[in-house]
Amino acid sequence: MVNYRISDLMTCAIADMLEDGETVFHGVSSQMPMVAMHLARKLHAPNLVHLNIPGGVNPGTVKQSSYSSAGADLVEAGESYFPLDQIFDLSMRGKLDVAFLGGVQFDVNGNVNASVIGDYHKPKVRLPGGAGSAVLIPTAKKAIIWRTKHDPRTFVEKVNFVTTRGNLWKIITPLCVFVFKNGKLQLDSIHPHTTLEEVQAQTGFKLIYDEIRYTKEPTARQLQTLRQIDPYDYRSTEF
Amino acid sequence: MSKLQSLKKAVETIADQSTLALGGNVLHRAPMAFVRELARQEKSGLKLVKTAGAHDIDLLCAAGSVATVDAGFVSYETVYGLPPHYRKAVQTGMVKANEHACYTVISALRGASANVPFMPVSGLKYGDLIEHNDYFVVVEDPFTGEPVTLVRSIFPDVAVIHVQQCDEEGNAIIAGPKFEDVLMSRAADRVIITTEQIVSPFQIKQNKDKIDIPAFLVDAVVHVPGGAAPTSCYQKYDVDEQPLRKFLGLKEKQEVAEFIKNYERKDYQQERGTRVW
Repeated sequence: MVNYRISDLMTCAIADMLEDGETVFHGVSSQMPMVAMHLARKLHAPNLVHLNIPGGVNPGTVKQSSYSSAGADLVEAGESYFPLDQIFDLSMRGKLDVAFLGGVQFDVNGNVNASVIGDYHKPKVRLPGGAGSAVLIPTAKKAIIWRTKHDPRTFVEKVNFVTTRGNLWKIITPLCVFVFKNGKLQLDSIHPHTTLEEVQAQTGFKLIYDEIRYTKEPTARQLQTLRQIDPYDYRSTEF
Repeated sequence: MSKLQSLKKAVETIADQSTLALGGNVLHRAPMAFVRELARQEKSGLKLVKTAGAHDIDLLCAAGSVATVDAGFVSYETVYGLPPHYRKAVQTGMVKANEHACYTVISALRGASANVPFMPVSGLKYGDLIEHNDYFVVVEDPFTGEPVTLVRSIFPDVAVIHVQQCDEEGNAIIAGPKFEDVLMSRAADRVIITTEQIVSPFQIKQNKDKIDIPAFLVDAVVHVPGGAAPTSCYQKYDVDEQPLRKFLGLKEKQEVAEFIKNYERKDYQQERGTRVW
């Protein structure tokens, strides 16, 4: 039995979603996807192209990105320079394969809220904003959302505000993976440490699924590689 | 012609209600000395523009200097959390948050750099941002009849950009990521450079292929070593964690004023002709 934490499982599951040769982008506050992309490159996807806001293409290491996933260290460790404006243009041209995005509220219809709780112009809570979501979710071939919180306030029947919608591919949380299919957020797999009952109790809409699948556990090789590439455990920053 | 100016003088040229494009990104190379001086001079009604801001926007909101923020994302990164002063200012109605999609800030600045009133944006197709914001509009493409989203161009009065090296005339070199700074320098009516280091015309000539912002676009050059602190400045210093954490916990206006005052020695060091170590 392999010993791992939820952050390890999520990071490995994200890495498993990525394929060799894909161009993949992460933004700010994105340590977990950043480490996952690096993990994928080290193992099954050596030709994955790692893009990021500061513009460092394929950084050779992510060990310096302690408090930020948008710092100059990614450029310094990168093999070439390809900054944010050009990454957006790339996505608009249909040439960005995967984008990692955040959000605070999600609903069964695949709507994403990263903007406000309450009225847009006089909000009860002003959230940080969707960053690139509103243009990347519709244009990237696959949009993956990760969220380290899974509770009925995060997964709701109807979001307060639609920052963007549609074309989501997957959402991964500490409890499960959702897949967006036929216009609905459906259960893709639940993590081995949880149960369908727990996932349902923490989700504010009725779960849709055809069968129960379990998320693949991290392999010993993945965990060993994680310890090498992320010795300071940035993947757990949000926990 | 030397464009060297003191920090105070350069900030005095900023009118209330100006639209300011701030260089850098989140916790990196924000023009913080300039931003603090804007607060000291009690500027008001500023319209801030940036793809992703953090301490700069948060501090000006805390100081009560801001009317609107056009940005895709305003937050410190994960380890520091959300921007308390910006949130409070928006939630109390003091500041209007014009949420963009980062790319639409870039498009709006591209529009300004080419002096066209708007830019078509591919990708922005769905959601409430289009409906709730008057700077987005969906029209029919006159050539194909397909719907296309437009973003209104943003014409900054001034771009304020902190760099590692600049000569007295304003030839500026950014080391490491440039973020949207080069575009901002082309979109703004005036450009003010704050710089870690003033380099000689000879040195700049040796590195002319590295100049990001040519002198003829620049109106003023301010020498402020440490001018991005407490955000990072590549090759010079990293984030200064202690003051950032302290700032996040401030509640009273007086505390914010003291926080800003504590930087005076550093922000004004070149004006006194002495270096502070």
